[in-house]
Amino acid sequence: MLPSNLLAVWKRKGVIQPRYAKLSKANLEVANSLIEAYNRHLGEKKKVLKEFIVELEDSGQDYHFVRGLSFLLDRRSMFSCNENVNPVDLRRKIFRLTGKLGLATTPEQRKRIIENVAAELKIPVEMLEENLYSDLESELILEKFEPLSPQALLERYNLSMTQTLLFGATEMDFTASANWQKIFFVIKRLGLIYDAYKDGGFWVKIDGPASLFKLTRRYGTAMAKLLPVIVANSKWRVEAKILWKYTNEICDFKIESWKHQQLLGSHQPAISFDSVVEEDFATRFQALEAGWRLRREPEPVLAGKRVIIPDFSFEREGVRLYMEIVGFWTTEYLLRKIEKLKNLDVRMLVAVNENLACERLSNLGKNTQLNILYYRKRIPLAPIIRYLQEAFREVYSKQTDFLKELPVTLTEPFVEFEEFAARIGVSAEAARAALTEKTPDNYKLLANGLIRKEKLEQIRKRIDEQTGRSGRLPLSEVAKIIEKEGIDVTSVIEAIGYKIIWHGINIEKAEVLRLKNKTS
Amino acid sequence: MLRLWFDKGTLLLRGKVGTPYGKWDPRVGCYRTKAMYYRAVLAYLEESSIPYRDDVQKLPPLKTLRSTIKLRPYQKEALSRWRHGCMRGVLVLPTAAGKTYIALKAISLLKTQSLIVVPTLDLIDQWKRRVRECLGVEAGAVGGGEHNVRMITVSTYDSAYLQAELLGNKFMFIVFDEVHHLASPSYMQIAEMYIAPYRMGLTATYERLDERHELLPRLIGDIVYSVDVEELTGEHLSPYIYEKVLVGLAPDEQQMYDEQMAIFKNYLQEKRIILKSAKDFQRFIMITGRDRRAREALLARNRALKVALNSEQKLDVLAKQLEAHKKEKTLIFTLHNDLVYAISRRFLIPAITYQTPKEERREILGNFRKGDYKVIVTSQVLDEGIDVPDASVGLIMSGTGSTREYIQRLGRLLRRVEGKRARLVEIVSKETVEVGISRRRGQKKTGEESNRAAK
Repeated sequence: MLPSNLLAVWKRKGVIQPRYAKLSKANLEVANSLIEAYNRHLGEKKKVLKEFIVELEDSGQDYHFVRGLSFLLDRRSMFSCNENVNPVDLRRKIFRLTGKLGLATTPEQRKRIIENVAAELKIPVEMLEENLYSDLESELILEKFEPLSPQALLERYNLSMTQTLLFGATEMDFTASANWQKIFFVIKRLGLIYDAYKDGGFWVKIDGPASLFKLTRRYGTAMAKLLPVIVANSKWRVEAKILWKYTNEICDFKIESWKHQQLLGSHQPAISFDSVVEEDFATRFQALEAGWRLRREPEPVLAGKRVIIPDFSFEREGVRLYMEIVGFWTTEYLLRKIEKLKNLDVRMLVAVNENLACERLSNLGKNTQLNILYYRKRIPLAPIIRYLQEAFREVYSKQTDFLKELPVTLTEPFVEFEEFAARIGVSAEAARAALTEKTPDNYKLLANGLIRKEKLEQIRKRIDEQTGRSGRLPLSEVAKIIEKEGIDVTSVIEAIGYKIIWHGINIEKAEVLRLKNKTS
Repeated sequence: MLRLWFDKGTLLLRGKVGTPYGKWDPRVGCYRTKAMYYRAVLAYLEESSIPYRDDVQKLPPLKTLRSTIKLRPYQKEALSRWRHGCMRGVLVLPTAAGKTYIALKAISLLKTQSLIVVPTLDLIDQWKRRVRECLGVEAGAVGGGEHNVRMITVSTYDSAYLQAELLGNKFMFIVFDEVHHLASPSYMQIAEMYIAPYRMGLTATYERLDERHELLPRLIGDIVYSVDVEELTGEHLSPYIYEKVLVGLAPDEQQMYDEQMAIFKNYLQEKRIILKSAKDFQRFIMITGRDRRAREALLARNRALKVALNSEQKLDVLAKQLEAHKKEKTLIFTLHNDLVYAISRRFLIPAITYQTPKEERREILGNFRKGDYKVIVTSQVLDEGIDVPDASVGLIMSGTGSTREYIQRLGRLLRRVEGKRARLVEIVSKETVEVGISRRRGQKKTGEESNRAAK
């Protein structure tokens, strides 16, 4: 974050943007010359370094930019005071003496006082003069400097400018691809209030308690502190309202990963696991290849006004379950968690470490028809698989039951199971089962869906005409006819009494051949 | 039953009863109101006989206070007006009229948890000392790295603002020292986010150039008592003599000054820029961010001013002044840190700037108070309200022309020194912009005329 007088912006028609430093050759050169200047001035006074920087500013560079970079480099530097003489002691001695002997209004008087004190401290007069104010900011010595690459410096500069702009934010909306646990942890710690909602993806709006009464910049600093956690993801979008204090107008500010990630730098840590337990579990579960897709820190779950961020999600054919791993816990904590989950339309498995219980397990009582799984060292896989399968079967049968009740009336010439399932919100397998059982009379069952018999007949006639007496046709020709209808070729071929003959692996050479005994 | 509690600088109200104060907050599903309405909400609930549970206050423990304060008649009058104004309101009194004592007396009467908000770290120390002397208890402090909440706590405006979420429900009484600061957009939230039903503002300069002081009545109440310097001078405050010493630049300095100033003026003329007000100047500064030549013009102006401020001749005059007032406690003011240190080095005078370590600053002020140090040179840190007892000479080396600053600086010298008149000497370069600045200053009230008359 930069001091606000170093923030440079573009502002047009109510939209505001920091004047980001592109990673251009010219900018990289400026960054590089500054970094080198800090390296070169190690062991020298701060004011000498600053003189160089002023020269750079005066040589035609944008001084906002140069000073901003130098501000960031100062923070990577350690300036310290010469330790041989303590300037505060030195001054005390001198001022006490002037208090007694009178001010140094003449050069002779001054010399007398200085020599007196120098003699007392047994140091040369020059050393005394040199150190009189050696603890002043500008007199400090650059002792250490932690260098970085010019590119990293520019990225940091851009991120800092964004944060400085956010100081003036009255509210902020954002979405991110992962890292939710950390994000919500930071939101809470900063005393912000969130409001989660769905808009394409999972979005969070944040402001603070007093934002209810009026627009306030009060929470801008907290929002700025939150920003790095958001942009540490691979995908994100941030939108904020900025109250621009110089003109007192509200401006829109938007940044998103595909456009701005490069400018802000990609500080993306690989998927990080909170604990060995989680990592161990993920590795073992994936090795099992049980047909479930495992996701670490999936999108949060909206529970009324609250948000639940599970550790893992398991997905299979549209059925989704969650798991949360609990470390230290108390009965009260677990009960609160159960209460939170009870009214929720999601399935959550809670893995609880027995060894980390702060109270005895028996205190929990029989209250827990919730799916609590106790473990000691590692999370056992077998019960989880069992749970998943049970849950899947349950969801699955619920869905097929639901489908049984559902009167099936179809109008389209071709109905694909997957698409049908998605339309009514059940798994593809459930849809397949239901439609297989309840295929309407005017439809024929195919491998991946249903086709209206008239349509099938139409297709067959057209292909029969094309093949003529030979009964043969290149597959590519057939595909043209069938795919015009929006239907997958292979599933239809057999239904109309043909089969595919492959001549090698080249699909161009494949043919279809009419079977002698027509099945329909 | 209606339940009422404090949430990060606001009040939350949960219950089936509507009140005129709550605003529905859909984010948390209950009514919310500003903490400053605490007193009003309670009054409403009591009057309407609505049962409620109040979990708002989290007050530090009370201590027994032993007040030794004896107020002067006008201080008594001020306090009683404040008490009649429902223990809210602003007292406008000139510097050195003993505002501190009125506030401490109010605390000793209310016997309640009190927060004193002040503009600077120096003032924290000063108020803590006064609390110890006058009430016999140790005050807590929030600000400058300290965080120590007690029955009586002193905080800076900055910390009171930044920590409103934590401190808002810990005090029943707030005193705002130099209350004109409270009207700034961020600091005014202190008044809004604290529950304290009793509020007192203290200042010598109520009005702000930006007119934002008009917001204050809503936040802490109206002015309940106001008296100006003239009414008190003679009786309670020692008058002072104002004097201006004009100093010419040395020939080489004058040449350098003229050259640099010409660059600046030519640029303004060429671009037809007129700089009349502070706002004009700010706009010009904005231009310098984009325009290379504007920036060069600005730098030239700064160089010229530097020559005028640091003129050797002026330092010689300063030496003479110091000789002339050898025996008296003297403060030298200048806005420029470089000049502070130049003076400190040349005359071996202790310096106080924003860079002075807190310990050393305390020590210098202590030694000055005891008389071990006779002179201090300083930039702005002593500007407001800090006690520098019995300093009888003030030397101004440069200035910005702001009215408030002028009054406050004079005020610093208004301490009573056994019948002796204070002296304020301004050392200004002849034939430079600076004359303009100090003329502008002199035009405002409490300027030279009234004091020349007092001569």
